[in-house]
Amino acid sequence: MSLLIETASQSAENAVSSTPTLREAGRRARYWLLAGVSALIVAVVSTVLAAGGGVGGKPLEADSAAPAGARALVEVLRRQGVNVTAADTLAEARSLAGAAANPTVFFFDESGYLTDDQLSAMSALAPRTVVASPDFLALQTLIPSVGFGGVSQTAVSRAACTVAAAVKADKLSPGGSTLTIPADDAELSGCFTSGENAFALVEQATADRTLTLLADGTLFSNEKIGQAGNAALALNLLGAGDDLVWYLPTIADVPGTGTPSLGELTPGWVTPTLILLVLVTVAAAVWRGRRFGPLVAENLPVTVRASETMEGRARLYARSNARLRALDALRVGAVQRLAGQVGLSRLASLDDVIAMVATVVDRPPADVRTVLVDAVPASDSDLVALSDRIQEIERATARATTPLPPGRMDS
Amino acid sequence: MTLTGRFVALLALGVVPIVILGSTPGMATAVLGLWVLALVGLGILDLAQAGSPRKIVLSRSMPSRVRLGESVTSDLYLTNTGGRRLTMVVRDAWQPSAGTGNNRTPLVLPPGERRLVSLRMTPTRRGERRVDQVTVRSFGPLGLWARQATLRAPGQIRVLPPFNSRKHLPSRMTRLKELDGRTSLLVRGQGTEFDSIREYVRGDDVRSIDWRATARHNDVMVRTWRPERDRRVVILIDSGRTSAARIDDEPRLDTAFEASLLLAALAAGAGDHVDFIAYDRRVRGRVQGAQGAELLSRMVDTMALIEPELIETDWSAVPGEVRAVTSRRALVVLITSIDAAGASSALLSVLPQLTRRNTVIVASVTDPTTLEATRPRGNREEIYRAAAAERALLDVARVSAAIRRQGAEVVTGSPADLPPALADRYIALKAAGRL
Repeated sequence: MSLLIETASQSAENAVSSTPTLREAGRRARYWLLAGVSALIVAVVSTVLAAGGGVGGKPLEADSAAPAGARALVEVLRRQGVNVTAADTLAEARSLAGAAANPTVFFFDESGYLTDDQLSAMSALAPRTVVASPDFLALQTLIPSVGFGGVSQTAVSRAACTVAAAVKADKLSPGGSTLTIPADDAELSGCFTSGENAFALVEQATADRTLTLLADGTLFSNEKIGQAGNAALALNLLGAGDDLVWYLPTIADVPGTGTPSLGELTPGWVTPTLILLVLVTVAAAVWRGRRFGPLVAENLPVTVRASETMEGRARLYARSNARLRALDALRVGAVQRLAGQVGLSRLASLDDVIAMVATVVDRPPADVRTVLVDAVPASDSDLVALSDRIQEIERATARATTPLPPGRMDS
Repeated sequence: MTLTGRFVALLALGVVPIVILGSTPGMATAVLGLWVLALVGLGILDLAQAGSPRKIVLSRSMPSRVRLGESVTSDLYLTNTGGRRLTMVVRDAWQPSAGTGNNRTPLVLPPGERRLVSLRMTPTRRGERRVDQVTVRSFGPLGLWARQATLRAPGQIRVLPPFNSRKHLPSRMTRLKELDGRTSLLVRGQGTEFDSIREYVRGDDVRSIDWRATARHNDVMVRTWRPERDRRVVILIDSGRTSAARIDDEPRLDTAFEASLLLAALAAGAGDHVDFIAYDRRVRGRVQGAQGAELLSRMVDTMALIEPELIETDWSAVPGEVRAVTSRRALVVLITSIDAAGASSALLSVLPQLTRRNTVIVASVTDPTTLEATRPRGNREEIYRAAAAERALLDVARVSAAIRRQGAEVVTGSPADLPPALADRYIALKAAGRL
């Protein structure tokens, strides 16, 4: 048993390594590296390409080709020689309008960023201002007498007014919201009526400036600009001057609040520290998670307990309430033991064993027979009682057949 | 490649300069970047200075065999053939049941030198335990980053059955010697041979008086016999599915090994020829024609690799296997399991073929928990359990009776009792001259 064997070769050759070197690992992973890089390139290129003709963007945005955008209108205006410039903030719009000689301002504030002061300032930027889809605040600030008129029900609404652009357009696409104006206001003229004082277009012409309210801005969207006289209305309204400022307010127009934000309150080192924490976590994961060589496989034997069949049979008895069958098993075992105790062979007949046991324990044979053969358990408590009586007979037999210790025979 | 805890700690320490110097977000981010960059740079430098874990010559030295439960030392020699000093941790990747405990050893190995890594192994399972690889993690001088490689260094050790039952051997050998030395074995039977004629002493069986010799001498003479030597003992172990079951946390197969080893040692000591076969549907192990000390060593060697097969044993081929071993009359010991009548019918059907020409012992391990389960009868569950246990015992008794009717002997016992019980039965048969 103590024989020593040398399993490794005695020549001084380095052990063969199963861990690939950096170069081998690189060569092995080349396919996946290349595949990953190409997938990345494809993703980047397709994103860039998709961004050019994107379907996203805000409604009526000047360079949005989406159905809600207004690129069609803006492109046509540009081709007609109108210099269209987009403005995101009031300040930008002011500088653009100030630089132009005879500007027109197109204003559409979907989210209602501007306050009443800013709205008044906006309306004073240029001689011609077109406000699309004015909200309540805009109406109150710009022309307080104009109200909302509900959705137009008429199929075709004719211009029926003196506004030149509306007359050229003649009719608009059906539907859309309307505005109401008081009947006795001379400054205001409404076009495209659809009932009681409800108009799709309201124009306030004063001496030095013209303010046009377009009840439904979506008439100018890419989707609807081609319908009815929408395009004519839009081009005539917006193309009157050489310059058009396309002003859609953004969040930047919202004046800052007084209290500092959470970001301004945190010290400068918090974010870098969090990043460091993430890096430390990753490093710790590598430190603890790097396996010290491959796992070692070993075939382990199955564990089967031999008593499992007995337990299984016991559960089967219990589940099917096999009381008589279980009791019979107990009786057969007990009778065999009793036969041995009273000195009969294993092959002795049941009647002989019962008679002998009854004699030994000094009980009527009928009693013993009831316990060992005849009684049928009707319930679980019967079963427990019968089992107890079998054990009791076994104990009595054992007592009776065990020879008393010497010396006590006389007593 | 891997990192160390020191690197992680240093990285975490970067929070100090970030908090102290980082008054503004930009400044703090710059400090963070510099810190990480500096540490990674140090790590790369460290890695470049670490010794190559591939420039190592490995050789092993260890015993080829060990008894289950005993400990051995597995030696692994590492020689550094590279030009750099290796500061490393070595993992000798033995299979878990080789029982090496913690197999990671820190080691410093200067260039050109050789070091020994010794592991104390206490295998926990019989069979062949293997080691295929040694993993080496080599740290740089700063201990920040480390190189790692797994090197092939195969080795194996055969774990032999423990033969715990050899503690019963001296007492049984003594009884055998008494039997052997009692030359005045006066009963003639099969398996005895004539020894001598001596004077009658009071107490001798009058049937053994040799009247012809008495006539020649002036005294009453008796013939004496001694147990015959050079009998054949064939031990056949059933390695089929029933041998996988565990009794007292020991598979039946292992108990069978213990019993057959004790019997083989005893029979070899008594001058009989022992042959060993492990069989289920084909022969899993065979020891034939070995004598003396060689017999036991070959038997444990064969047994070491035998595992229970999860298939039904083909008993119909067993008589043929026994005939192939010897054509003479032999003691055939079948170590299997006696369960229900259905499971044992195949065994019962071939027994007559064996008992016609041989003395047959069927040995089986019984489960002591079954016997214990018949006693507690406190509630419904316990009574059903007791009934199932009684039924199981009854089945065993019926099959045992059937085996006896076929002319074979039955030996049963718990895992601890079976080996000595089988040895005792062998001695009894030998004394009775029934071999």
